[in-house]
Amino acid sequence: MTVIDPRVQEALDGERDPATLPPELREDYARLTGAAALLGAAPATSVADRVMAQIREIRREAPAPRPPNWLLRPVTFRLRPVWTLAVAAAVAAVVFLPLRESATPGAEEGVAQFVGHFPGARSVEVVGSFNDWQRGALALRDEDNDGIWHGAVVLPAGQHEYMFVVDGERWVADPLAGRYVDDGFGAGQQNALLIVRP
Amino acid sequence: MVAQVLDGDAEAFGIIIRRYEPGLLRFAARMLGSADAAADAVAESLVRAYRHLAQCRDPEHLKSWLYRITGNRCRSHIGRRHMSDIALDDAPPLADPVDTWAVLERSEQVALVERALAQLQPEKREAFVLKHVEGLSYEEMADVTGARIPTLKMRVHRAREALLLALKELV
Repeated sequence: MTVIDPRVQEALDGERDPATLPPELREDYARLTGAAALLGAAPATSVADRVMAQIREIRREAPAPRPPNWLLRPVTFRLRPVWTLAVAAAVAAVVFLPLRESATPGAEEGVAQFVGHFPGARSVEVVGSFNDWQRGALALRDEDNDGIWHGAVVLPAGQHEYMFVVDGERWVADPLAGRYVDDGFGAGQQNALLIVRP
Repeated sequence: MVAQVLDGDAEAFGIIIRRYEPGLLRFAARMLGSADAAADAVAESLVRAYRHLAQCRDPEHLKSWLYRITGNRCRSHIGRRHMSDIALDDAPPLADPVDTWAVLERSEQVALVERALAQLQPEKREAFVLKHVEGLSYEEMADVTGARIPTLKMRVHRAREALLLALKELV
């Protein structure tokens, strides 16, 4: 392995003026910057047309937007595990008991209840694979301003990935989810995983 | 622009493509050593990006996000085949040993640098290309690769050394 003088590394990192390099080090600097310049030409091709054709195809295949099921149907609530009894009691007092008797999800659906503790947050919403990661579809509520945000939605039975979006900008994996999966973008970030049973 | 696409204007994604496509194609070509493979990787990446655009958590970092997806796609391609398997038929023959770098034609210089780059391990190749060809900051590189900045600095330093050695051996 060729060892490059640290001063050359500093110059290549923009931490040193290359003009201050001793003459015997300038060749390595010039060789590497020259190599980078030679690699800088973009291939004379474009994929724009084929990508846009695929996107238009995706758009044609996509179902027409419809109102979310949870707005149209009566729902029952089933609390998933929460991290303290106090929170469970508080949430149940607010949303669980009053709605339980009046809601019935379909045979292949279940109710997902979301609870998060975000003191001081101005808004908390849930985005996930069940709403195409679109914001604005499922906002959580904190009526008594105690920092406990909650909401529920009827979802098809199965596995769903989701995240909380706090104050419209901070994406947070539900610390209480218990299950997580890699978000697939290679940066080691994880989505929370929700399993809905009918 | 991201918001426009998310609001249903799919054609606006064409503007995103035009803005970032040259860099993504160059990055993929340098990673894969083949313009055709790079075009496939970038096309697949852009379609994936469109499908998951709502998951781009910070539109301000759209560029890094697109490079990350493309980098992942390139690594998948590399995983399926080794760089040594890539035909370099388009490259001119190696220069005669008596030639010097200065007298090589530009196309020969490009071919030699591409050969030297192809000898680097994928991680080092990626680090050199992102830093010196794409001009990303270490912060942006961390967004793209998921690696920590000190790790990336070390990777870039090692990549420079390996590339310099490969160039000296080739010329």
